[in-house]
Amino acid sequence: MIRAFSFASFVAFLLSCSPPSEAPAPEAATPSSQLRVFVVNEPLRYFAARIGGSHVEVVLPAPSGIDPSTWTPDAETVAAYQSADLVLRSGAGYADWVDLVSLPAARVVDTSAAYRQRVRQRAGTVTHQHGPGGEHSHGELAHTTWLDLQLAILQAAAVADTLVRARPEHESAFRSELAALVADLEALDGQLAAAAQELADAPLLFSHPVYDYLIGRYALNARSLDWEPDAPPTPRQWRDLAAVVHEHPARWLLWEAEPLTEIERALRERGIESVVFDPCGGTPEDGDFLGVMKANVARFEAASTASE
Amino acid sequence: MSDTAKTDPVIQIDGLRFRYGEGEFELAVPELEVARGEHVAVVGPSGSGKTTLLHLIAGIETPQEGRVETAGTAVSELDDAARRSFRIQRVGLVFQEFELIDHLSVLDNVLLPYRIHPALRLDEATRARAEEIAAGIGIGDRLGRRATRLSQGERQRVAVCRALVAQPELLLADEPTGNLDPGNKDRVVDLLLESAEARGATLVVVTHDHDLLPRFARTVDFTAFQSAPSALTA
Amino acid sequence: MSGPLYLAWRYLAHHRAKTAILVTAITLIAFLPIGLNQLVSESGRQLAARAQSTPLLVGERGSRLDLVLASLYFASDPPAAMRYAEAERVDASELATAIPLHVRFRARGHSVVGTTLEYLEFRGLRVAAGRPMAVLGECLVGAAAARDLELSPGDTVTTSPETVFDLAGTYRLRMRVAGVLAPSHTPDDEAIFVDVKTAWVIEGLGHGHQDVASPGASSAVLKREDDRVTANASLVEYNEITPENLASFHFHGDLAEHPVSAVLAVPRDEKSRVLLLGRYTAPDEAVQIVEPAAVMDDLLATVFTVRRYVLAAIALVSAATLVVAGLVFLLSVRLRRREIETLHKLGAARSHVALMLAAEVVAVIAVAGALAGVLTWLSGSFGGAAIRAFLLS
Repeated sequence: MIRAFSFASFVAFLLSCSPPSEAPAPEAATPSSQLRVFVVNEPLRYFAARIGGSHVEVVLPAPSGIDPSTWTPDAETVAAYQSADLVLRSGAGYADWVDLVSLPAARVVDTSAAYRQRVRQRAGTVTHQHGPGGEHSHGELAHTTWLDLQLAILQAAAVADTLVRARPEHESAFRSELAALVADLEALDGQLAAAAQELADAPLLFSHPVYDYLIGRYALNARSLDWEPDAPPTPRQWRDLAAVVHEHPARWLLWEAEPLTEIERALRERGIESVVFDPCGGTPEDGDFLGVMKANVARFEAASTASE
Repeated sequence: MSDTAKTDPVIQIDGLRFRYGEGEFELAVPELEVARGEHVAVVGPSGSGKTTLLHLIAGIETPQEGRVETAGTAVSELDDAARRSFRIQRVGLVFQEFELIDHLSVLDNVLLPYRIHPALRLDEATRARAEEIAAGIGIGDRLGRRATRLSQGERQRVAVCRALVAQPELLLADEPTGNLDPGNKDRVVDLLLESAEARGATLVVVTHDHDLLPRFARTVDFTAFQSAPSALTA
Repeated sequence: MSGPLYLAWRYLAHHRAKTAILVTAITLIAFLPIGLNQLVSESGRQLAARAQSTPLLVGERGSRLDLVLASLYFASDPPAAMRYAEAERVDASELATAIPLHVRFRARGHSVVGTTLEYLEFRGLRVAAGRPMAVLGECLVGAAAARDLELSPGDTVTTSPETVFDLAGTYRLRMRVAGVLAPSHTPDDEAIFVDVKTAWVIEGLGHGHQDVASPGASSAVLKREDDRVTANASLVEYNEITPENLASFHFHGDLAEHPVSAVLAVPRDEKSRVLLLGRYTAPDEAVQIVEPAAVMDDLLATVFTVRRYVLAAIALVSAATLVVAGLVFLLSVRLRRREIETLHKLGAARSHVALMLAAEVVAVIAVAGALAGVLTWLSGSFGGAAIRAFLLS
């Protein structure tokens, strides 16, 4: 009797172990006809949408009006990036939050590979050191590479190559759109070069040190401040401006966005005109990257003409 | 020879000579008759061959010479299988030391003959009879108990019950009181005599206890038979 | 029931202890070789399956077995680290996809495996609750580890110090559980997966701290010179990565120099596999490339050899046990001489008694055989799961 009970208990114990079950098969991916492309800034969004056309769905999760270079997505947004067919990085340290998240490496493409050697160090970087690691700094690279329109062309070509690798059946359409885009960018580049030539060596001021590539590409004689268009400068900042202008008698101050009227007026009183040159890193309220750049170029041309 | 023996002998022995192996004890019984229904005590000293005589009557052994006829069957001339078949159906045996199977229950011991020979079929009637006999003998409430857990007197009763269950016409009891105290001795002898009387069975009891002899109708003195220990083998 | 069988059964039932011992001994004799064979075969099959599903493994030169055991089963001490550049090298070859593995750390007894999202896809791992890790500091917990540590999405788990006196070594990072995997019945169930960059944070190669330029960190600043700020050790470093401090995390030095334990290389095709193998044959090559299936085959060959010896030993012991059992039986028959004589005297044939004794032996063997059969069936049906649990533990 005791034996029978012990045997039954043993059998019951073994039956309570779950029988071996098959490991669940991974969910089969259902490739949609549209390529889902996530990007990190407006230029990439524009390039991918223009080149890919109806074959791609391009997503820039950073809210409009926010500078994506300073934006860090939350975990849920990163999960959305993980679901993309492609993630396009801008390179040059732009959106370095990518180094802090998990993305499928095979689907992340650095579109700056072709011009990696031409990436510039950002001016006015604060370095620090602590502990045995030695000196290091944060965000030391200048990342608005598209303001050098030749680099923008290389970036657009990289986007096209990536889309062709993903959807080779649409290569001719992608290449055709790329050619048209390159033509537009070349035209803008030509206009900017001509305008810069008209400016010759005229000193210019920029509100923020984010125009390294514009300055470098078109050999502008420029200095950068650290002013916000919506924050009236402090007396100290006016004094610093006066000191800069004393050595660098600029007549134009190029802003990222429209400055306050009072700032514009105060600058005019000091002989400095304000011109908006929107770097267009984030999604514009109206229009798109090319429209914003065209407006930038028009204003820049007007300033160069007026400076004669 | 008695008149009753002449009329219906259950045991008839003529010129019996028996020895175990070569040069061992020799038993000689020239003539012996026991009538049907007789209650006979066989007395003699220890080692005189009384147990051997019972074995020869029951067909457990066969003599080298002579004839043993039991219940009308010449058991001395039967082969082993025939003797066993005869014995288990016609003879009830009560052994000197009870010889119960210790790991069996009282009931299993009583019904043991029915489990060791195909000639006896165990059925409900047999079980009922066994329970009735056990109750009559006074061990009806012990049927489920293991034999090892009985007193000496109870063990002897079980042995008697086992001997009776197949309704034998001849009961052979070898020193049935040998291991018992005086109180139990009387009870067992009464039991044997009553059981044999009730069933009309012939009873032969081997004993060395002379105090019991008056209880029996007839006493056979073993010393009357010619028996001598043989020379030891070299 | 026939007489001999009934008497045999009564005897066995009365001598319960002796019968139980004999049944147990014979059951073991019958089952042990079968059970051992099943155990070894099933273990080998499971170990081999894991290895066969892993095409190639790149690691620092050294013991191939240690590399395979650490990378596939997260057992054994972590192998010597190699540079992450080796993963980039595999990727750059365009012959295979590189999946880095960092298996140095543990959290509450479970291996913390630093890798990339590709690992989940490669191993066919499915998220049962929550989602895969997204940001630095998040982890994805294997099914068994989650059950063992009672973790679910939203909970936290902290890494364990490497040594008791790990005062100034690796980070004890409190990680947030982003998700829990579905059971895969592989060593992955026992692991806690993090992004390889999180593993580097644990290793102290990346950290987050207060902004040295912020007023709150002023007490930690030793000196400022132009663009250079020197901070002291009181600068607050974070031991948990939260949405608020995530942006402050950064890595020092070139990521290519950061350490990994191994790189899982998934070749694009057979030709690529062969080509990749050929790229690591130079004698001065600092790393090695192994085929886990071949390494496990070598190990299992040794195991199977040992099994033969063990089976031989079991056979000897079994023979001795049977001899002893036989002796016990013969002695028991001798002890029952009087009982047997009684049966003969009552009228039982010698063959009847022999049948009864034989029935006792046969009954013991039959019960033992049946038990061995049941054990064999049970071990065959459920042994796989038990072995998996043992191998994973």
